[in-house]
Amino acid sequence: MTAALIGFAVVLFLVFFRMPIVFAMGLVGTLGFAYERGGAFFSERGLNAAMSMVGRQITDTAQDYGLSVIPLFILMGLFVNRGGLSRELYALSNAFLGHFKGGLAMATVAACGGFSAICGSSLATAATMSKVAMPEMRRYGYSDSLSTASIAAGGTLGILIPPSVILIIFGLLTETSIGKLFMAGIIPGILGILFYLFAVRWTVFRTPEAGPAGARTNWSDRLTAIRGVWAVLLLFILVIGGLYGIFDFEPLNLTFSPTEAAGMGAAGAFLIALSRGGLTLATTFETLKETAFTSAALFAVLIGARIFSNFVNLAGLPDALIDMVTAYDVPPSVVILMILAIYIALGCVFESLSMLLLTVPIFFPLVTSLGFDPIWFGIVVVVVTEISLITPPVGLNVFILKSVVGDVSTATIFRGVTPFWIADIFRLALIVLVPWLVLVLPQTMGVIGH
Amino acid sequence: MLRSLSNIPVIVACIALFALMVMTFCDVILRSLFNAPIEAATELTRIFMAIVVFSVMPYISAKGQHIEVDLTDTFFARLGIERARDTTIYLVCGLLLLWPMHRVWALAERMLDYGDVTEYLAIPQFYISGFIAISLAFTSVSMLVTGLLHAFKPSALEASK
Repeated sequence: MTAALIGFAVVLFLVFFRMPIVFAMGLVGTLGFAYERGGAFFSERGLNAAMSMVGRQITDTAQDYGLSVIPLFILMGLFVNRGGLSRELYALSNAFLGHFKGGLAMATVAACGGFSAICGSSLATAATMSKVAMPEMRRYGYSDSLSTASIAAGGTLGILIPPSVILIIFGLLTETSIGKLFMAGIIPGILGILFYLFAVRWTVFRTPEAGPAGARTNWSDRLTAIRGVWAVLLLFILVIGGLYGIFDFEPLNLTFSPTEAAGMGAAGAFLIALSRGGLTLATTFETLKETAFTSAALFAVLIGARIFSNFVNLAGLPDALIDMVTAYDVPPSVVILMILAIYIALGCVFESLSMLLLTVPIFFPLVTSLGFDPIWFGIVVVVVTEISLITPPVGLNVFILKSVVGDVSTATIFRGVTPFWIADIFRLALIVLVPWLVLVLPQTMGVIGH
Repeated sequence: MLRSLSNIPVIVACIALFALMVMTFCDVILRSLFNAPIEAATELTRIFMAIVVFSVMPYISAKGQHIEVDLTDTFFARLGIERARDTTIYLVCGLLLLWPMHRVWALAERMLDYGDVTEYLAIPQFYISGFIAISLAFTSVSMLVTGLLHAFKPSALEASK
């Protein structure tokens, strides 16, 4: 156990020295594995065992069929956005919510939620929506703190509402079903939207001048707005519905594996973008290139995490934690609360993916040994990660807003985010106390048609 | 010249990714409507993925597009040792990579000896592992060169951004 803790500290040190995470985890994982196997540093037997593990991890991860969901879902999000989805989503939610007090901020939250249903990244959601929603809110005289905060908070939904890159990574690290994780994210995601809408209402209730009402849209314009997004809505139903099993009836008998869902999604998004004239050969190439780069970086980091987690397991850190919990007779609920507290604390400084990669190999075995549902834990971890994206001093979504908008201080954004942060804590408490909200969809997967 | 050469692997990755998308789509359609799935789809998926990821690995490694934690950037900037830090990191990482590269190559050679092939299309496994090993070698070289540029000619790195 001591070896694992030292290894953990060394990884942190290297990562803070700005070594890419894959190299930090890979190096420490290899040497640690060699030490555990050989009984001493640089013993030949240990190093041989470690290197054979490393070689296998590299070739296996690169050819892991399950991992093909990563490039395909990223591709789907990028293609859809080439067709101008973010603008249309915002127009749609604005048409229905804009005339309320704080309506434009509420529309922003709703549009972020919609965008998350195609895009698996919180940072991308925040960056994309800020370009669309920010000018509009400024035009209506919304306060900087409310407008930036609604985008930063709304953007966090990207990693919870499926498809989600973070849920995929969690699924791959823990060998939990990605399809079920996706289903489990839907209700907490919708709760997230509702709670954020409350946060907007609360803000305009406290300071009415922060979010004046916009113009009311008539029904014919609303219908036009709906027409803008119907194709994408259909795509979402096809992909997520296919994963859930709604097409599993005669004569279709169609249930998608995550890879198939992702492939259908990417191809569908490609066709939508193509039909709207949003694609040229050059933009298609750009989209594919961006996807390849992001995927390669994610694959690399996964290889590193798998090597590191092999070492951590061999060193017996998860077992030691389990023994400790049993020895002191700590109630499981207290363990969960402690883990949540650790995540919220880590979230103050860590970026979402790094936090997940570093902690899941250690906490996951403990949590499942206490009898908690792995799917439920995945969603809880992702919700905590979402919170970390808007927690000072290092809230990545806030920084994204700062870099896109420019003339707003991070302090202003963090101030505006406070009600949203509190809404998040309430949501976290709710799904911790009522696991049913998370588990009902995955448990009923594939029931239709049988 | 060097630039257009470095574009070739990126183009290869893009083609493989597009092929992966089209193949998955066709597989689902053929399976559900005509009950005739593409049998080799799984192994082709694996191969396409290895190509997508490892074609661009040298490129993203040299360009610093790996996932990193940038919390300490202002701290290093204040000390004025960013260049020393980047030089060290790139050189160390480049050297470290030689180790797994060697290992993956050994794995590939063993596959060649055993004559391992894929299940449906009988593609020699050696090609895939060999490709990964070569990509790791290029990645190592690209990181070493980037490290040296950080040390001796940072202007070249600025220009390539």
